[in-house]
Amino acid sequence: MVHYVVDIKPVSRRNSPKPAPKRLWTASDPPYDGYKPVDTTTYHTSTPDSAIVIDNGSSAVRAGWQFEQAPRLAFPPLMARYVDRKLNRKFCFIGSDLYADGTARGQAKNVYEPGSDIVNNWDAQEGVLDYVFIKLGLDGSRGAVDRPVVMTEPLANLGYARKVMSELLFELYGVPSVAYGIDSLFSYAYNRGHNGIVVSSSYMSTHLIPVMDSKPLLAHATRLDWGRCQSAEYLMKLLKAKYPTLPGKLNDTQVEDLVRQHCYVSQDYSRDSVAFLDWTGLEDRDVVVQMPFTERVEIQKTEEELARAAEKRKEGGRRLQEQAAKMRLEKLIRKEQELEYYKELQQKLAIATKKEAKALLDAEDFDDEAQLEKKMKEMDKSIRKARNKDVGDVEEIEEPPTYPLLDTPDEELDEEGLKQKRQQRLLKANHDARARAKAEKEREKSRLVEEERLDAEKRATNLEAWVEERRVERQAMIQRIKDRDRLKADLGNRKSLASQMRMKSIANLASDNPKKRRRGGDDDNFGADDADWGIYRAIATGDQSDDDDEEDLNAGLKNIEAQLLKYDPNFTEDSTRDAQTDWTKSLMHSFLRGAWPYDAENQKENNQFHLNVERIRVPEIVFQPALAGLDQAGIVEIAADMITQRLSDISGSGDLLKDIFLTGGNTMFKGFEERLQVELRAVLPAESTLTVRGAGDPVLDAWRGAAQWASTPSSRQAFITREEYMEKGGDYIKEHNLGNAYI
Amino acid sequence: MAPITTASNETNHQALLDKLDIAKIQKPFRNPNFKAPQRRNKSVKQILSDASRREASLLTTQNNSGASTPMPVTPTEAGSLHPNPAQASQDLSRLVLEKNQKAAQTGPSVTYTSIAAAPSTRPKKRYCDITGLPAPYRDSKTGLYYHNKEVYAVIRGLSTAQIQEYLALRGAATVLK
Repeated sequence: MVHYVVDIKPVSRRNSPKPAPKRLWTASDPPYDGYKPVDTTTYHTSTPDSAIVIDNGSSAVRAGWQFEQAPRLAFPPLMARYVDRKLNRKFCFIGSDLYADGTARGQAKNVYEPGSDIVNNWDAQEGVLDYVFIKLGLDGSRGAVDRPVVMTEPLANLGYARKVMSELLFELYGVPSVAYGIDSLFSYAYNRGHNGIVVSSSYMSTHLIPVMDSKPLLAHATRLDWGRCQSAEYLMKLLKAKYPTLPGKLNDTQVEDLVRQHCYVSQDYSRDSVAFLDWTGLEDRDVVVQMPFTERVEIQKTEEELARAAEKRKEGGRRLQEQAAKMRLEKLIRKEQELEYYKELQQKLAIATKKEAKALLDAEDFDDEAQLEKKMKEMDKSIRKARNKDVGDVEEIEEPPTYPLLDTPDEELDEEGLKQKRQQRLLKANHDARARAKAEKEREKSRLVEEERLDAEKRATNLEAWVEERRVERQAMIQRIKDRDRLKADLGNRKSLASQMRMKSIANLASDNPKKRRRGGDDDNFGADDADWGIYRAIATGDQSDDDDEEDLNAGLKNIEAQLLKYDPNFTEDSTRDAQTDWTKSLMHSFLRGAWPYDAENQKENNQFHLNVERIRVPEIVFQPALAGLDQAGIVEIAADMITQRLSDISGSGDLLKDIFLTGGNTMFKGFEERLQVELRAVLPAESTLTVRGAGDPVLDAWRGAAQWASTPSSRQAFITREEYMEKGGDYIKEHNLGNAYI
Repeated sequence: MAPITTASNETNHQALLDKLDIAKIQKPFRNPNFKAPQRRNKSVKQILSDASRREASLLTTQNNSGASTPMPVTPTEAGSLHPNPAQASQDLSRLVLEKNQKAAQTGPSVTYTSIAAAPSTRPKKRYCDITGLPAPYRDSKTGLYYHNKEVYAVIRGLSTAQIQEYLALRGAATVLK
């Protein structure tokens, strides 16, 4: 016995539906993190040369004493200074404190200009420094800040910026001595680096600095103008373009948090991005963020309520029916009674004299006997019909109605006769028309039946040709649907030809002298010809247009497809138009709405957005700035150029590769280190050893490095004292290993 | 003034703001006689253009100072004090400028603009403007790159504003000045 295993083809190859999203993320709250207390004790116990270390960063200002382990203060460099009209009071909030109030938040000014790490707003900088000194407990008993200050500045800081900063520190605050340094170099020194390339990707920019023997080769340092701030802006723009109808608005801090939480660096962007929108596993990779929304209140009737309503309706219907039946019956009885009465009247007429007969007829509002006869006949007929309907036993005998008067010529009849003749003509015409219509319907029916028979015959005899015919028809229908869609789209676009033609016809209709003049006379006989009304169908668009047409086309298509499915062996479920426009196979649907169906009415879904490809697209820009339209090289290319070309003539440049050091908040993406390692490995000479390492704490190590450096006695040589400043001016700078050089 | 959380009411919020406000805190460490110069908030572009303008103006108004010509040492002069101090200071600034220029021409100088990264020399990979996937095709009418025909259908349905938005992401939008 042979066992055959039949291939069980799945009923539908549509991708299977997914369970509900595991977690709905929400946009973050404003980062207000509480009141920072003022601490005066540390100040009083500190020695006069313990420096205040300020990491004046663009994402956050971190400040503290040099002997502490971590910066005491960390806040964004924002200031909000305004006058409250109601209370008539000046307010000034710094840092994250201003997130506590909506007005303050609206008035926030950043110290830095967006996109650069050079200080721009000096009033805000003053406010920030005030805040730092207040919170560190300085009492200003001598009318000045009397501790040295170590401050960080960006690589290749502009002379003007340094000058104004020194002016602030020395003249406004009376600081005894100041030192400037580069934050990434501080971080490197703190992480015990001596030879290497420092890759510092922070908030507003990314720097690459080669360091040899603890000395930075500033001439070969490079800056890429991309950091977390630009990433956040880019993500915001991406989301706005992707979801133009999203009602909620995201602000910068929320977008930054999204970048921080959900983005990561992919190892191979081209491959990963395509794989991202794959159906399998999409629900794990896709991040759904829900914005606040108001639920549209729809009073959902419960099952039993609905059942009860249906019952009531049926009851009502039944009652109505009963009432109607009763009324009909009553009418019937009344009619019969009337008929009886008329019969009596007729009998009376037969025996009455002429005058009495006239009188009787007048009393009943009849003109002569013929009318009475007619009325009686009518009533009889209607009674019979009604009884037939209700009771249904008496079959109506259809007799062809006779029109005796039609044949007699006009002259022979009197006035009465003429009237009668006209009436009869009308009746005859009616009757004829009805007969014609019935005949037409019969003919139509028989024709359809005939067609079907022919069709079945054809199918039986020549399956191929029939199938072919059907396919062609289906194609034609699909084409018509497509054309109709295209026409609709065209009409939406203001500049298309269809739209312009439509405008022309509207203008033509509305104008007083239409362009086309009818030959012979210009009275407006629009509408006499039935085809004229078709113009309104042509100019109707959108909601006004005939929806029936669409339904017809769709229904027709379904019909044909059903037939094909039944008879054509090659036409499977997949080939149906339905399967082809299936949303689960649609790339755009996965892109926009993830792995779940989209309901346009659902308010909850309308306020959601999905992050899928953006998760890897945004951090990719540091490696490929061309993605964002930035005309600069990516960090891999910069590093490779640096090694192979600019530093090739300096001995020991190969050693730099042994320690590629990552610091700065923007390098904390998952996969950043591996990606950099892999890509650099690919472009560098094979024999060079390559190690990539990250800072212990990419965010705080700069401050810690500065504090550590300030604690070393040798660093004091690099401090500029107040007297030196007064003498030599604001441009004076002392070069040291961890700072800028004089230009 | 809108309280940020629903938990706080008006009085609580006001108390919080009073606590956070630093406008009314005394700042004795500030020098009361300090007056900030006017218009000191400058953007990077402004700073750079100011600096280059200043250098350019100094250069164009200078004649060659003759500092490069070797001067015979005159032993008779007691000191080397220039009789005219005003001109001496001008000479000095000119000398400094020329020295800077020479240094600039010869050695590498690290300025804010000079360390900006150079454009990439590698061939640019094209990515779909709508989805971010790799894009083998480009729409000639709008200039957008797209991934497949489905995305192309979406592109055809975009309005002009949306098209410009997508191009702006890449820095390719038409900017009318």
